[in-house]
Amino acid sequence: MDNSLYVGLSKQIVLQRQMDIIANNIANSDTAGFKVESLAVAEDPHAPAFTLGGPAPVKFVMPNGVLRDFGQGALRKTDSPFDVAIEGQGFFKVNSPQGERYTRDGRFRMDETGRLTTANGSAVLDDGGGEISLSPEKGQVTISPDGTISQGTERIGKLGVYTFDNLSTLEKVGDNLMQNTSNQAATPATGARLRQGMLESSNVNPIVEITRMIEVSRAYESMAKMMDSQADLSTQAVQQLGRAA
Amino acid sequence: MQALRTAATGMAAQQLNVEVISNNIANMNTVAFKRQRAEFQDLLYQTMEQPGAQSSDQGNIVPTGVQVGAGVKAGTVYRIGTQGSLTRTDNKFDLAINGQGFFQVLTPSGDTAYTRAGNFAINDQGQMVTQDGYLIQPAITIPAGATDVSISQAGQVQVTTAGSPTPTVVGTLELSTFMNEAGLSAQGSNLLKETAASGPPTNGTPGTNGVGVLVQGYTEASNVDPVSEITALIVAQRAYEMNSKVISTADSMLGVANQVKS
Repeated sequence: MDNSLYVGLSKQIVLQRQMDIIANNIANSDTAGFKVESLAVAEDPHAPAFTLGGPAPVKFVMPNGVLRDFGQGALRKTDSPFDVAIEGQGFFKVNSPQGERYTRDGRFRMDETGRLTTANGSAVLDDGGGEISLSPEKGQVTISPDGTISQGTERIGKLGVYTFDNLSTLEKVGDNLMQNTSNQAATPATGARLRQGMLESSNVNPIVEITRMIEVSRAYESMAKMMDSQADLSTQAVQQLGRAA
Repeated sequence: MQALRTAATGMAAQQLNVEVISNNIANMNTVAFKRQRAEFQDLLYQTMEQPGAQSSDQGNIVPTGVQVGAGVKAGTVYRIGTQGSLTRTDNKFDLAINGQGFFQVLTPSGDTAYTRAGNFAINDQGQMVTQDGYLIQPAITIPAGATDVSISQAGQVQVTTAGSPTPTVVGTLELSTFMNEAGLSAQGSNLLKETAASGPPTNGTPGTNGVGVLVQGYTEASNVDPVSEITALIVAQRAYEMNSKVISTADSMLGVANQVKS
């Protein structure tokens, strides 16, 4: 009979986790290149609704994975020459101290040796996987929509934009970076166009997140209500059964 | 509940954002001020189920893991070094840099600082100084009795003295460039200092090797765009509100949990 308490508890745990994810989405609503996430839930165990000849199985609610919406975020103009936004599918490849990572955050800069790096100082890689070196003496840096970097009239290199067949195995590691956790190889992204002097905003939709938050909070209350009723039932049962005896 | 702490990181980040924006707006009319931008990055993720992990002996993999993020952090405050527009002042000691480069300034501590604010003046010994009285390097001394001063695009300072038809060259200004200008550290009073991130300065004659040229009688305005700053301010305020909404919702959920009958 206490099963309903545990079912309610499993739902409340899922709701708390959903709330954590919504909080993270809202906290990162102003983070360049951030991709919105949501929690997928499933019933567990996966059993038929009705089992012939036996009691109906008790099912719980379980988190089943975090879904990431890789949809395009809005591009906003910054006029900073080292800001690059990706329009379309694809990621920049950077060489972080922990290994190769992928990002859509195009807030680049030059380091003290002239390498093009991310805000954390990890080198941004070109289409061949090499680092990109610029020199302030050569003049204006221009990045064309296909990623070609030129300074003045001289071609310096080409920014690498990569993509994967299956994006869901990318793991977020913080600092706006993602790690490839599967053995699929990154392939050059052909459809992507780069925009210099622009940044991709996060694709968090504040209204959707606030609405979800209200849903989560109300569902949490309902579960608490259900557990209250369950407790009342137990109390009554104990009292009445006690009287009958 | 993680949501409480996550929303707190969001509020702290937006607070920093507002501080940076208000500094930009406050310095809208500061000579050669370069606008700044707070940059945010997502914090570490707690991985509860690894994406790509083996889900069976047959080599099936978990298609989407469960990763819950811990919020946002301010990565850096980045200075955007785009050219400011040139404002005509007709003051002969006002110099604007059109292009890359910084003037070198000798600070009282003996260190060299760098600035693009070219609103210079002359001290009692005829030396060219900043508004704080710090000497410009290389030192330029205007002799007493000079009737006119002319500074060329390449930094050559020429003075005309009474009774002499030909101007005399009293020195040449140099500009310093850095690999990474955004890595210079701001010292206040429009001064910047070299750091390990900026790399060492390269001194050059204005107009050569990618160094900008000097324009006499002009100052460089700040590159702050009021409209985009105000827009950013609105975005920051709304984001702050939303994060506080998350805190109150998470709090009410915890309140509900506390009321459950035991």
